[in-house]
Amino acid sequence: MNFSINLLKYINFNQNFRFLTLSSSLKIKEIKEIQQGKDLIIYGEELPSPREPFLLKNKYPNKCPVCASGLNIKHTDVLILSQFVRSDGCMLPKRITGLCNKQQKIIGNLVTMAQKAGLMSNLAPHWSKKDPKKRYQWKKFNKYFDESTIKNYN
Amino acid sequence: MSVLKRVQQWATFARVWHIYDATWQNPFASAELIKKYLMGLYKPIYHPMNDCGDHVIVINSAEIALPGDEWTKRVYFHHTGYPGGATWTLAWELHTKDPKMILYKAVYRGMKGNLQRRHTMQRLHIFPDANVPAHLLGNVSNQIKQLRPIPKRLDHMDPEVVKNSPKIFDYPKDYIVR
Repeated sequence: MNFSINLLKYINFNQNFRFLTLSSSLKIKEIKEIQQGKDLIIYGEELPSPREPFLLKNKYPNKCPVCASGLNIKHTDVLILSQFVRSDGCMLPKRITGLCNKQQKIIGNLVTMAQKAGLMSNLAPHWSKKDPKKRYQWKKFNKYFDESTIKNYN
Repeated sequence: MSVLKRVQQWATFARVWHIYDATWQNPFASAELIKKYLMGLYKPIYHPMNDCGDHVIVINSAEIALPGDEWTKRVYFHHTGYPGGATWTLAWELHTKDPKMILYKAVYRGMKGNLQRRHTMQRLHIFPDANVPAHLLGNVSNQIKQLRPIPKRLDHMDPEVVKNSPKIFDYPKDYIVR
């Protein structure tokens, strides 16, 4: 009991401490500690993005990444579509993907198609059935989609 | 008859056995393809009165794929003949009961309804999985090309390939990956 009250106090009054622990586990910054005499310097060093070496060159800086790439993306191209979702299968917002209105909408539709077809079942909420074969009723059967049903798709 | 002519004669009139993998294939598009081989439409000697059809073994019929929401929208009608004997079965319900039925019906409906149709269907051998009896598999001499490529699942790919594939965009500097 005593311990939990102490912990609550700690969380309420030591926001800085909490922030540091969270960021270290998420691996966008690395926490470094340097002892200089009596002073202990703790700072977060930005890590290089794992995508950096594999990034496509954008030849047209005023276009969005997908428009500039000139790719005809299908719902079966899961290597491309998986870049636009979080680990729980949520579509990333436009301010992070940097896509234009049209492509954000199209990619969102393609991601939905890939998920319904069970092609990205590892990128799904933790409580979901990861194996598409174990889905309920008709959802367990193979299905594919026609991309031309997407509005404004090429 | 010379030896060459005799062999030509055998080759012309022998029934060829084809195999077709229905994994991730549309059964209704596949039916058009299978029908061509079942009836022997591709042969120069074809004639409706000429019995020149081939055998087709279809494997993995349980793994067929339907486009969009057709699993719930396609309905199979049956009537027992008695009053109130009509039933409507959804495609997914039929497929759950018998994973061979949708493909069988698709091929059956793909052909013209004449007296020959029942006999042509006798040359179609459907298997829900890849377990084909050896005495049938031994006859096979041709594989029919699939209409659609089988899509690859992300969780079946090599993690190294996923990591090293070309990336379209990079995260902003302050983005917390999750």
